[in-house]
Amino acid sequence: MPTLFLLLPAVGALLALMLPRHREHEARWIALIFSTLAFAVSIIIFIWFDPDTPGYQMVDQFAWINPGLGGFEVQYIVGVDGLSAPLVLLLGLLTVVAVLVSFSVEHRVKEYFAYLLLLETAVAGVFLSLDLIQFFLFWELELLPMYMLISGWGSGRARYSAMKFLIYTLAGSAFMLVGFLVLGLEGGTFEIEALTQAPPQDALVPLSLVFWAIMLAFLVKLPVFPVHTWLPDAHTDAPTAVSVMLAGVLLKMGGYGILRIALPILPEQAHDFRVILAAIAGFSVVYGAVITLQQRDLKRLVAYSSVSHMGYVLLGVAALGAVGLSGAALQMFTHGTITGLLFVMVGLVYERTHTREISEMSGLMHRMPLIGTVMLIAGLASLGLPGMSGFVAELTTFLGAFDAHPAATIAGIFGVVLAAGYILWTVQRVFHGPPDEKWAQLTDANRWWEYTAMGSLVVSILLIGIFPQLITRSIESGIEPIARIFEASA
Amino acid sequence: MFLGDIPEAAVWAIYFAPMVSFAIIAGALLLRVPQFQDQHASNLTIGAIGISWLLALWALDTSIGADGERVGFDSHLWMELFELRIEFGVTLDSLSALMMFVVTSVSLLVQIYSTGYMHGDTGYRRYFMHMSLFTVAMLGLVMASSLLQLFIHWELVGLTSYLLVGFWFDKPSAAAAAKKAFIVTRFGDFFFMIAVVLIWTKTGGVFDIAEINAIAEHHELSDSVLTGFVLGIFAGAVGKSAQFPLHFWLPDAMEGPTPVSSLLHSATMVAAGVYLLGRFFPAVEASPDGVHTTIAYVGGFTAILAASMGIVANDIKRVLAYSTISQLGYMVMVIGLGGFVAAIFHLFTHAFFKSLLFQGSGSVNHATGTFDMRLMGGLWKVMPITFWTFLIGALSLSGFPGFAGFWSKDEILLDAWKYDKFLFVIGVIVAFMTAFYMFRVIIMTFVGEYRGGEESEHGGHGPPHESPRSMTTPLIILAVPSVLFGFFALNGFGTFLEGSLPEEIRHFEFKLEPVVVACSVSAALGGIGAAWAVYFFRQPAPEQLGKAAGPLYTVAADKFYVDEIAEDGVVRGALDRVLGPAAAAFDKYVVDGVVTGAALAARQVGDMARRLETGQLQAYTSMSMLGVVVAVAVIFVLSGNVLER
Repeated sequence: MPTLFLLLPAVGALLALMLPRHREHEARWIALIFSTLAFAVSIIIFIWFDPDTPGYQMVDQFAWINPGLGGFEVQYIVGVDGLSAPLVLLLGLLTVVAVLVSFSVEHRVKEYFAYLLLLETAVAGVFLSLDLIQFFLFWELELLPMYMLISGWGSGRARYSAMKFLIYTLAGSAFMLVGFLVLGLEGGTFEIEALTQAPPQDALVPLSLVFWAIMLAFLVKLPVFPVHTWLPDAHTDAPTAVSVMLAGVLLKMGGYGILRIALPILPEQAHDFRVILAAIAGFSVVYGAVITLQQRDLKRLVAYSSVSHMGYVLLGVAALGAVGLSGAALQMFTHGTITGLLFVMVGLVYERTHTREISEMSGLMHRMPLIGTVMLIAGLASLGLPGMSGFVAELTTFLGAFDAHPAATIAGIFGVVLAAGYILWTVQRVFHGPPDEKWAQLTDANRWWEYTAMGSLVVSILLIGIFPQLITRSIESGIEPIARIFEASA
Repeated sequence: MFLGDIPEAAVWAIYFAPMVSFAIIAGALLLRVPQFQDQHASNLTIGAIGISWLLALWALDTSIGADGERVGFDSHLWMELFELRIEFGVTLDSLSALMMFVVTSVSLLVQIYSTGYMHGDTGYRRYFMHMSLFTVAMLGLVMASSLLQLFIHWELVGLTSYLLVGFWFDKPSAAAAAKKAFIVTRFGDFFFMIAVVLIWTKTGGVFDIAEINAIAEHHELSDSVLTGFVLGIFAGAVGKSAQFPLHFWLPDAMEGPTPVSSLLHSATMVAAGVYLLGRFFPAVEASPDGVHTTIAYVGGFTAILAASMGIVANDIKRVLAYSTISQLGYMVMVIGLGGFVAAIFHLFTHAFFKSLLFQGSGSVNHATGTFDMRLMGGLWKVMPITFWTFLIGALSLSGFPGFAGFWSKDEILLDAWKYDKFLFVIGVIVAFMTAFYMFRVIIMTFVGEYRGGEESEHGGHGPPHESPRSMTTPLIILAVPSVLFGFFALNGFGTFLEGSLPEEIRHFEFKLEPVVVACSVSAALGGIGAAWAVYFFRQPAPEQLGKAAGPLYTVAADKFYVDEIAEDGVVRGALDRVLGPAAAAFDKYVVDGVVTGAALAARQVGDMARRLETGQLQAYTSMSMLGVVVAVAVIFVLSGNVLER
């Protein structure tokens, strides 16, 4: 099953590329069909996944490279647990949304959709890999389509932003690879589960260095202060669908890596550095929010709000307790849908007004009541309003983190107040006020793919907000083994 | 008492009935159902809240039968994650039953009133959708059995307040007021949320309100934790109930439609802070004395501060808004003094007469097209129903003997007399000021000659006339409790209300203290008389009085500059002009600059090794791979051949 999920988009990408140039518009349908199929598979995986059975499920495995070098092999091994199952579902959903909001792309269509589908495969590989080397390869594979999509279909300083994104990630992943190699050579295997069972006790280099080498890559991806500045640039210049994917799933690779690799394999180091992590998290939340308040560009504003909100993930992680870690996992999922929706809405506004300057917009509610309403819903979810998914995640994080890190948690809670500030300020500037003659010609959302993209995300935000049990059982089973490691050591 | 005990499902139905009407209206608006007309939305809302009201009566009846003690219901699991277990349930005791009754009664009358007031507005259906949602949230707040459930609805109430204050969002002032209301109250909620997290952490995972109260009462928590918790929820109450220094959002919230002010910003939502303190009264009582004193003095100070602003405001709704802040200050003060019954009793009577007064002001606005009292006058002749009901409301608020407000205010002053003489003096002064500004309103609005009015928010108007039946009927109905509900004081109301408290802290007994009654009555009559002297006989004329008061008048008229300090000083000044730009510049030049600097340095190096620069992605990638291999190789060499170990 996971392999099918992994391969479907790749096959779609190949098919799209094979289209002759004069029929390349059909690529969007190929992309829609294959992403929908992948989404269906991700739903099946999520439903089939049994939270009561410990360990990985639906595992596909075969030896890949077996050179006899030192007696260990590199293998292909994928599977899901309670941690990855929701993320796979999120990826499936957001890729469909990304394809839908790309229906208006007119330039080099088949390459565009091929890269988009390839991106899904790469991220799926990261979420599903149970082997460090394989994890690394998919991690790197994600760079290629992202670089191409931002530089080729972006706006503004697209090449600069794409290169910045690339360099940051590569710099991080170089350290990560060193860390992985040290871990693998020391532990005699690259299999994540085996390394988790028997974490290396010492190595050539101090394990604390290994920990930070790996964490650096994940923290860049998350991102948190001070390694976040690639994110606003990448978001601002990326096409809408790429922003959706970037905020929705790519950032989650960082949080996922921490929960899947850094914490279970290097628990002692995580425990040693938890205060530093919490400090970074609390600072990131407030710092990101204060800078968000300063933004004058709608897309940059949402991008900076991500820096603030991903700080909650790190805060939950730093708590190193069951509830806090669950909060982090929940926050990853909910931030994916909420910020994904915000970027969809910003894209819909931009497509109509051709500007992202907040000061140039006003009274748009009169021309586009539906877009305005959905934007408000997304904004309210982002500021942690109860009844929506963001509240559940943030609350869980705060409850889990307060005992261990009261100051960082209070900083995190203050971020929620600031979020109310920047969200409502934006809604007021952009949508409220008297109708502006300049925007008299604008139309509301009126195409089926726009309805579908907005609707599916709104539904998922409300569903999780009202019935959190839909996802918490899976997350509980995924976090349980990690939490047990820290309970045992405490 | 009269009926059998209400089953749990029926209590839940009180909450879900308006939710159904909300969902139907929202669905119809979203799908743009053409058959769904304005009157469908209002009928649905009124019908749903009517059902809630009937069931709330049943709940109240059950609660009276149980002497106000808690009727046990199960709680239901909402979410479970390891030791985090969140359950929802309903509390049925005297406090929640009374609040359900207040919320549904006032809401029902306001909805009926709205059909007249909002008639013809393009957002009519959206209005009733929000009103349904508000009623759901407010009911959820008062019936919650768990702190988290209460907090969730507390936030949802804030949301609906945001939506309704900004209902006419094309008016920039309304949009700004809505945002202000939400953010200022959320600043209070910041502390509330810390309190929620704190109490959950320190009690080992308890959200149940009764359990938290029991733990606090038995002093199983350290003083510092209890202080933190009580001050946290108090800060939430300060935001929601518009107490100093977070009071300044409420007058601006008057930008919303008047029925919204009548329901949210006088009778129910703003009283939620007082309700919260009442709900956690055992915990508040158990907290150290300094906490009580803080609460009492914040309340007392707010009461007198707001009353002074009420005296100088010329906008009838703003006078009522300041009056609301001031009366809420009374309630907060007396909670701090340990007067649970007095606070809730005043909340109860205030809800009715203040809602009546706001609806009266809306009726006046309907006729004159303005809220500026300087443009009114002489309306008692043309609007008899509005005038007489408004007068009843004003007498009640002023504490005129026999009216509802008299009894509840008397309880407050009695507690102040017993526990803190200084606050008693403050309380009497506020009572005098209240009577004064209310009769200033009566005289400026209803007495004398008509001064012309203005174009209304509904378009032009001819000479003023009485409002339609849909608006006057609720006024008449509300006038009844504004007179009669005070007599409950004689009839075991306090004992019933204390049924929701643990037995050890019940101490209510009804009595009339002659000194207190004398002070209260003379303050009320004195205030009314002074208003007549100044505004009717002009002896001395109000202008002279303003001049005599000098800077005091100016400062009060300028709202003590709290708005300026909070908005221009803290938000725009510190956050928007100093901290924000500094952080943004730091981000751009330092955090990003280090990276760009590193990149520039790298380019210098790169220039030297230009031949390696092919500009191709593959080349860069392989370069970094090469770097990794070299790094690993170096490690290997430095540490000996690892593979042989």
